[in-house]
Amino acid sequence: MSADPGKFLAALQHGDSFFPSGGVAFSLGLEALRDDRRVTDAAGVERMIAEQIAGRWASCDRAFIAAAHGAADLDSLATIDYRLDAMTLARELREGSRRNGAALLRVHAELGTPRAADYRALVRGDAARGHLPIVQGLVLSGAGLELGEALGIAAHAFTVGLLAAALRLGLIGHVGAQAALKRLHGVITVALSAPLPAPEDAHAFTPLTEIAVMRHETLSGRLFAN
Amino acid sequence: MRTEATIRIAPSAVKRIGPARVGIGGPVGSGKTALIEALVPRLIGQGYDIAVVTNDIATREDAERLQKSGLIAPERVVGVETGACPHTVIREDPTLNLEAVDLLDRRFPKLDLVIVESGGDNLASTFSLDLVDYWLFVIDIAGGGDIPRKRGPGVLQCDLLVVNKTDLAPHVRVDMDAVRRDVAKARGPKPALFTNCLTGEGIDAVIAELRRSVLLDA
Repeated sequence: MSADPGKFLAALQHGDSFFPSGGVAFSLGLEALRDDRRVTDAAGVERMIAEQIAGRWASCDRAFIAAAHGAADLDSLATIDYRLDAMTLARELREGSRRNGAALLRVHAELGTPRAADYRALVRGDAARGHLPIVQGLVLSGAGLELGEALGIAAHAFTVGLLAAALRLGLIGHVGAQAALKRLHGVITVALSAPLPAPEDAHAFTPLTEIAVMRHETLSGRLFAN
Repeated sequence: MRTEATIRIAPSAVKRIGPARVGIGGPVGSGKTALIEALVPRLIGQGYDIAVVTNDIATREDAERLQKSGLIAPERVVGVETGACPHTVIREDPTLNLEAVDLLDRRFPKLDLVIVESGGDNLASTFSLDLVDYWLFVIDIAGGGDIPRKRGPGVLQCDLLVVNKTDLAPHVRVDMDAVRRDVAKARGPKPALFTNCLTGEGIDAVIAELRRSVLLDA
């Protein structure tokens, strides 16, 4: 992390779940996995999150965040945005990523983060999809954060979002969640140090969770949007 | 003296500010959806163009109840999931609700008013000032006559307190005179109204307050 206090504080601000992004409404399949008794306890939660980091975030989301962070113009952002859309099979994952991205983009547009309002106009005009990893790359770059910082923040947000969902689903306690997060730092560190794929080489393989997300669409009682 | 030339504004310079956004919060079962069901047909009858965002906790029950009610076109009702955080999605992180309001505003460009109904919550729930222009907090007599006296943030901070189910007072051993005194004490100069949403009692007064404070036409 940067030795520059300003950058350090910016990283804290953008990595904090206090920053509004709509993320509270998404469980990325964990709710359905709980309902199907595929995840029943804190150990199961930790396993699921580790699999999501290794099987999806590191090899897919991270590639798009990095590409968006370094994108020269909004057209190239929109192009990779459409690629990620095409790669995201489960409807609730796809729509959740877009809703989460739109919510985050909205706040940054209102805060005046460079290029956020322009990209939001493209998304609202159906000229871009607005997926969360694309928006994260764009706005964290715009907020002055280096690529390594941006990826660390995104990995943290992904992990904490799932742990918070697990806590609200009654699968883990507040201390257990922090202990799991500390152990998951090892998984995140491995993910962050792996070779970075280009968007055209990005891939994800988390079939159990994707099926759970598809099953989630038809649940009658549900707290989360996916 | 101003002339026509000095007050003329080019159409391109006029920014549409969008529909008024009114929040309706309150504990579970206090009558938030019933209040909306009472308000919506009357406001539509008075010529207002309306849509509703609902925040259900674990189901789409409130959204579907309104969509099937026949009181408003189903496509004018959008449900937003709360992730078990009804406080958060109307206060600390209301972004998904704002996106839902935007969606309705784009879908129906002549909207005058969007009502944002919070998920059933407790006395501490309040709305972000960036989400709504004005908000109502609904409590009900059957929930206990001591609620106004407890002075939760919802009762104290809302723009309009609605005390619903007044007809139930004798059945739940609540002294309405004491409630009215406690409400007056808790609210000070801020308005509070008493309703029975099922019969429509008090609803016209709520609408008059909305028209005066939010819709700016009465």
